[in-house]
Amino acid sequence: MRILIVTVSLFPLSIGASVARAHAFLDHASPPVGSTVGAAPHEVSLTFTQNLEGAFSTIQVTGPNGARVDQSKPQISGNTMRVGIRAAGAGTYHVQWRALSVDTHATQGSFAFHVGAQ
Amino acid sequence: MSRISTSCQAAAIALSFSSLPLSSALAHCFVGARFLPATLATDDPCVADEMSLPTVSWSRTGDVPPAKELDISGEISKRITEDFGISIGNGWTQIRQPGSPTIAGFGNLETAFQYQLLKEPTHEIAILLGLVVEWGGTGAIHSGIATPYSTLTPTFYFGKGFGDLPEDAGWLRAFAVTGQVGYQIPTQSFDLVQGTFNPQVLSWSGSMQYSMPYLKSEIQDLQLPDFINHLIPIVEFQMSTPVANNFGNSFLTIGTINPGVIWVGSYFQVGLEAQLPVNGASGHGVGVLGQLHLYLDDIFPTTIGQPLLGGTSTAPRQLTF
Repeated sequence: MRILIVTVSLFPLSIGASVARAHAFLDHASPPVGSTVGAAPHEVSLTFTQNLEGAFSTIQVTGPNGARVDQSKPQISGNTMRVGIRAAGAGTYHVQWRALSVDTHATQGSFAFHVGAQ
Repeated sequence: MSRISTSCQAAAIALSFSSLPLSSALAHCFVGARFLPATLATDDPCVADEMSLPTVSWSRTGDVPPAKELDISGEISKRITEDFGISIGNGWTQIRQPGSPTIAGFGNLETAFQYQLLKEPTHEIAILLGLVVEWGGTGAIHSGIATPYSTLTPTFYFGKGFGDLPEDAGWLRAFAVTGQVGYQIPTQSFDLVQGTFNPQVLSWSGSMQYSMPYLKSEIQDLQLPDFINHLIPIVEFQMSTPVANNFGNSFLTIGTINPGVIWVGSYFQVGLEAQLPVNGASGHGVGVLGQLHLYLDDIFPTTIGQPLLGGTSTAPRQLTF
């Protein structure tokens, strides 16, 4: 029983030491998820918990009137995905993303941020 | 030179994707943006490559005087295809009753055959069908821990996240519920040794959970400490009600309500719950339930984290909105 307990206790540590890939969770965003900012940002940046495969990760941003405001393809570097956006005035912006981590685990999500008086 | 190198990298990536199925990427229980963790008392509503080792519980039984019961169990789940999986589990039980000898031993081997009927990402709904088989005679029969007969339990599992509520619902969108309903059918209707009928039992359990990871990534990032952002506070319940072939016995529902919390990491999760018996027949005092759960699909993404069949045949597809 002691051997079992020790083995089980050490297993997660060995995992962390030997492997660095898993599902890519959204770690943080700029503008932050659910935040209110004074002026429309020039880009949306998402940072994930794992590195991403650029060809299979996407991001879409819609402005207050529902029209897409993201410009060109997202730029992906390591665990960060960013896309430029054009300002569309005050209101609620919606971000939809899909991410593929380097070991092909896919995740997706969406969130809003608000532009206007804080 | 750098252009050639870039081309080679692109080709290598393309080749690697051609051999890895994108559809397998949602192995443990993701439904859209929702992650439903492996819950301790209720099975989550997804087929997956995962392992619970160990699950440990301690409680006082409903006997008078109450006995102290310790259970240590393990379970491994493996996808055979993308939508079909098998789980194998077993447990060791020790019961100490005042004035009586301590009894201990392994329970019967349990297997579950599960089919993923639905994953609906927009409304965060998952539905799973299963047949749980407890194989009679594979455990410690003579100590009374295991039974000589088998039990078949057709089971329905479901999960629903509330991320599809209107944005005005705010923080409520981080809630989710899961549940399972099974009908236990013993393969023998009468226990000759104990001289009692073996009842058919409705087992029903569920969970209400609040996902701090979902709150942070989908609703509002409150800039909380990282540890808090990995927590899923949860309340589970686990009940069983005899419904047939129970002549001369009580039809009383027994079970526990389990408030607790699950910490979710990238490769494993840890859960801890209290067990509150719903009546005297269910137990005495507060019990404890804990579990270490490993995500095999994340730990071994290219080997045992893949379905046995069809795991390398699906062509990749570009993710588009």
